[in-house]
Amino acid sequence: MSLAAEAFVSQIAAAEPWPQNATLYQPLREDQILLSDCASSLAVQAYLRMCGLPVRVCCRANAEYMSPSGKVPFIHVGNQVVSELGPIVQFTKAKGHSLSDGLDDVQRAEMKAYMELVNNMLLTAELYIQWCDDTTASEITRQRYSSPYSWPLNHILAYQKQWEVRRKMNAIGWAGKGLEQVYEDVSQCCQALSQRLGTQPFFFNKQPTELDALVFGHLFTILTTRLTTDELSERIKSCSNLLSFCRRIEQTYFEEDKDSQSAGSQYSRGPSLF
Amino acid sequence: MRGQGAEPLLCWGGDWDLPSVHTESLIVLAYAKFAGAKLTVKPVDWTWRTITAVIPQLNYECSSVTEPTQILNFLRKNRFNADYELSAKQGADTMAYIALLEEKLQPALLHTFWVDAENYSSLTKPWFAAHSPFPLGFFVPGRLAGAALSRILLTKAEAPLHSITEVEGKIYSDAKECLNLLSHRLGTSLYFFGNAPTSLDAFVFGYLAPLHKASLPSGQLQQHLKQLHNLCHFCSTILQNYFTEAGRPHSNQDAVDANLQKLTQLVNKESNLIEKMDDNLRSSPQHRLNRAHRPAPKPSFQTAGRNSTPA
Repeated sequence: MSLAAEAFVSQIAAAEPWPQNATLYQPLREDQILLSDCASSLAVQAYLRMCGLPVRVCCRANAEYMSPSGKVPFIHVGNQVVSELGPIVQFTKAKGHSLSDGLDDVQRAEMKAYMELVNNMLLTAELYIQWCDDTTASEITRQRYSSPYSWPLNHILAYQKQWEVRRKMNAIGWAGKGLEQVYEDVSQCCQALSQRLGTQPFFFNKQPTELDALVFGHLFTILTTRLTTDELSERIKSCSNLLSFCRRIEQTYFEEDKDSQSAGSQYSRGPSLF
Repeated sequence: MRGQGAEPLLCWGGDWDLPSVHTESLIVLAYAKFAGAKLTVKPVDWTWRTITAVIPQLNYECSSVTEPTQILNFLRKNRFNADYELSAKQGADTMAYIALLEEKLQPALLHTFWVDAENYSSLTKPWFAAHSPFPLGFFVPGRLAGAALSRILLTKAEAPLHSITEVEGKIYSDAKECLNLLSHRLGTSLYFFGNAPTSLDAFVFGYLAPLHKASLPSGQLQQHLKQLHNLCHFCSTILQNYFTEAGRPHSNQDAVDANLQKLTQLVNKESNLIEKMDDNLRSSPQHRLNRAHRPAPKPSFQTAGRNSTPA
């Protein structure tokens, strides 16, 4: 989205209140969505719940191609479509819903820095494990990614995506890393997050911010997703305060689903942490 | 390894009042100064290594380390640690801010120096062409520019095959926001974590110094940086304190020597004091009793310790 368009959107956005029929689109939950997309989607859902904005989750096999940026998840609010957490945060802010208004300049800098740490380390590690580890790519990723399509399109799309991700890893210097090194990076990132969180309930004490939503989205997804090995989730489990942080957010913001799971549309993926 | 000066560090040479014009090389050079590691710096300029080596590269006992993060880790393992006094939380902050720099500032910097047509043709390309041996001067700048462009597109473009104009606005607004955040974080302090520079300072310096010093014909990011006085002052302070005789390996030596001199003076003073107190004790009638407890040396040792920390 260009800057002019962005400014224009936020102008219009400010005028309208949040509608009841807002929808979040993501790939099919049971047999298509990948670890990294699931984490991003959960982060957005957590963020909207923290803001108290209702959203209906809708699974579509072609969500990736519906999204304006080619990335999932995206939300459809009124007559606007916004994708990814960063722009969605700006969009809700334009509508008068913000979680980080109470922070001062230095805290906001810190929040943005830690959000980039999560994107730079956890998200990249998820992509690496999905697409660059040969076992995971062949046993899980390519099958799931291409599950809605028939032969030969399934192979073409999966290999095209894999090629794309590998080029990106090459460009940022991750291609030369081994799997062990990537796990080590994830460990370091989790330790940094754990140190920053300390004994507080949220990263900036009492109030949750978009950083909390992002961290929750990634950690919870890694903890509850089965991969070829448990190595990745084991790395997170060594930080006990991050585990209780995930439980706390799940309890506070996703609890009511457990009672009304049959009503269904909302959030019901995988096992919970309890 | 300490003090031998046997590890040659390959990096791009200096210009524009900087010890190196290359961000990654600058990060390593600055960190080495902060940690007091004496590296033999070998500029790659005018050698074939401009095309064969990954720069910066630290060679040590037949093995070589590339990339700033790896080289910094290597130096830390060899007891050259500028982050020794940081708390665990400050260490976490360091990681986070380095990620912020890499995600938000680096794409716009690459664009400013390598993709922006005006800057590339009048500053970057001539410099790198002139510092490569014949006939590499025809290849090296183009190769580096291609790498920069593909890195921006692969990491920031929303879909593959997008053109660069579609991401330009986004990466520059991200970078300006990042500069503002850094400026807020630095505030009025000298370095990011108090009075001593650490690895985060090395990274910020590496990213900002070329932007601060280069004479760019088209520099919207540079204009923005100029308005953030504390960041400009931060770059100048590091250049002044650690690179005054740019490129000369001894420039840090003087600072170390001065500190050593201060320390020696302090220790001398303290030992004089101890002697005096000892004399006093000896002359007192109950000296045998008191000497068993050794009350005198302890407090004076503490003062020495406290005084020497900032040095």
